[in-house]
Amino acid sequence: MLTSQHTWIPYLYLYGVGGLFFLLGMIIIRKSGSIDLRRKSHRMWNRVLIFGFFWFMVIHAILIYAALNW
Amino acid sequence: MDTFHNIGTSTDWIVMVIYFMVIMLFGSYFGRYTRNTADFFFGGRRFAWWLIAMSIVATGVGSHSFVKYSAKGFEHGFSSSMTYMNDWFFVPFFLFGWLPIIVYTKVRSIPEYFEKRFSPSARFLATILLMLYMIGYIGIGFLTLGKAILPMMPEALTVLGTSVDITLMRAIIVIAIITGIYITFGGQTAVIFTDLLQGFILLFAGLLLFVLGIDYIGDFGIFWKLLPVEWKLPLAHYNQPSSFNFVGIFWQDGVAGSIGFLFMNQGLIMRFMATRSVNEGRKAAAVNILFMLPISAIVVGNAGWIGKAIAVADPSVVSPNTSPDQIFVVVASIVAMPGVFGFIMAALTAALMSTVDTLINATAAIFINDVYRPTKKFLQRKQKEKPVDDKKELFAARIASIVITATGVLAVLAFKNFPTVYEAHGFFHSTLTPPLVVAIFLGVFWKKFTPAAVMATFIGGVALMMMGARYPGILIAPFDHGIVMNPDHPYSYIRALYNMLMCFGVGVLITFTTQIQKNVVAGLKRVRNHKQIGYGIVGLNVILFVMVALNTGSFSFLMSAAIFIVLTVPVVVTYFGHYDEVYHTVGLTSWTMETARERFKGSKVNDREGDIVELHWRIADGEGDIVRLSENDMQRMKANPGDLLYLCDKRKWLGGLKSIHAVFGEPHANDGTIYITDEQQKSGMFMAGRILTAEKEM
Repeated sequence: MLTSQHTWIPYLYLYGVGGLFFLLGMIIIRKSGSIDLRRKSHRMWNRVLIFGFFWFMVIHAILIYAALNW
Repeated sequence: MDTFHNIGTSTDWIVMVIYFMVIMLFGSYFGRYTRNTADFFFGGRRFAWWLIAMSIVATGVGSHSFVKYSAKGFEHGFSSSMTYMNDWFFVPFFLFGWLPIIVYTKVRSIPEYFEKRFSPSARFLATILLMLYMIGYIGIGFLTLGKAILPMMPEALTVLGTSVDITLMRAIIVIAIITGIYITFGGQTAVIFTDLLQGFILLFAGLLLFVLGIDYIGDFGIFWKLLPVEWKLPLAHYNQPSSFNFVGIFWQDGVAGSIGFLFMNQGLIMRFMATRSVNEGRKAAAVNILFMLPISAIVVGNAGWIGKAIAVADPSVVSPNTSPDQIFVVVASIVAMPGVFGFIMAALTAALMSTVDTLINATAAIFINDVYRPTKKFLQRKQKEKPVDDKKELFAARIASIVITATGVLAVLAFKNFPTVYEAHGFFHSTLTPPLVVAIFLGVFWKKFTPAAVMATFIGGVALMMMGARYPGILIAPFDHGIVMNPDHPYSYIRALYNMLMCFGVGVLITFTTQIQKNVVAGLKRVRNHKQIGYGIVGLNVILFVMVALNTGSFSFLMSAAIFIVLTVPVVVTYFGHYDEVYHTVGLTSWTMETARERFKGSKVNDREGDIVELHWRIADGEGDIVRLSENDMQRMKANPGDLLYLCDKRKWLGGLKSIHAVFGEPHANDGTIYITDEQQKSGMFMAGRILTAEKEM
């Protein structure tokens, strides 16, 4: 019998704790001026970084759903 | 557990030998582009993002190999892919923190950064830790190679009438000799191009195996239905079993491993440094992590999934008791015909060799930069400054590669008793990465982080880590998230969390108490025999550290000793050292990136976006890096004299192999022409009649 410890808890932990690290990274590079959103190429990179986070989040969600329901 | 020998046919061996010969010839061809140590180690900082992204596939897939992920795929299913899809959290730190810092500061190794950012003693300790990490990684690579090749070998060979047993270590020694020969004569350019080829072949071979496996089973629907539900989940159970659980692997691989791989794997960093610009390095990293790693997760793990499905359908074909580390070879031999099996095995072993090659090359770079040159400088300090003899350094680099290869073989002994390569690698990452990972991280992103704090992290943090290793039930258990401790290999993964918290805690505590340390040192200096006291504390620290390392004493005594080390190392560093915060942070942290860029260029940065222009080249007299373009061409590029430019053969498929970096000189009047020096033409290997593209860098 599968429990939430095998299905969604790891997912929530991964994107909860991992998400905190990611958010911290985004804040630090913005605050430090390392990524400068006035520059066109940096705006593109900002979008790529956010896309990457949700890209993996969606892939994992689909895979868990598929394992449980398909 | 079932183990195998003699898998494969003579056709497979012939295919493997031909494959290796082709790869080595391919590498040797590009080895001729190695002219000096910069080329040997960094490939001349000239390559396009796609070339580096693809060459990283072979390195990444090789290191996180077919063997260990197929093993976990067989035992636990799709969750073997976890480690390939949890790297994105630290990518912002890497793309806009560490990557530009290492490029703009022009450091050639991670320890060199520690000297610039902190002190020579920080560089010394970083060198030791990094060499241990790299050699351990080489050891893991050799172990995996040995385990991959062993099932194909007979149990014994007859040599000159004597029967010689083929053991894991003997197989590894032969592999190490082949690997050592290749890297010693190739260098980084050869490795990059060999990896490029192997990256493609590897993905093809892995996906081919998946297609053949599905075909063997019937179709994808049957495969999907054969697998139990828990085998189809992409993440492992939260905290069970101790040999493979989500939370332990998150901290060991998702945090320590991801930061370690991105921030302190000198082999990977050298690949990014071989890209022609920071932006190209960012593209290579992003494409690799976003797209290549998910594909690679399928490529490396599918043999285990197919193996599990076959074992469910017909246990007489694949026994559920098959040794997990041999499942890749077993499945490949079942689903692929002779010859194709040889090709798949050749791709696997060649990719592993790529990883090991890269690591050996990177470790040799650290040796030359952080051991050979400083030692030579120290020995010659009383003589007149001599110019660097590049031929001698290149020779030393090649000798270092041989010695490192041999040491890597010895490192296998530390890991070969783990049940699987995966667990050996997990233990290795959890143990060796935290001090350097924390030090790099705090150094780059926290201006206030001091040399006293970094030294305390290295020495005190390691002392606390050793205490955790000795007393896991007391010290690591509070962080175990409910994972049951395996007494044979206690907390292989979750120890990463304890180790990182200890190192991070020490670093933060010592930084926040900087003023207290200064007050203590000021008080100490008022005592008449303060020098003797200072040396006395150093001696006491050495004795206590050795006692902690050798576990000579009760838990409470050793714990007190570790805390004493944490508290007194920063006092000693503050007493003996000198630290100018402005000098050691400006241009060296993410908070001063603009200054780093200006220092890299040597003047104010010009960020105006201009065109890329196509030019004919002509040889002319000139000085150093200067090239001359027409006034109109410079206007199109929005460039001024003194700006930096990248000059490259127009043929994009070359990936920047024929290219140079240069500086705009004073303009001339001949539109469409660039004047370069004879030396620049040789360095860029520009061919007569070929058009070049010129792009302003900054």
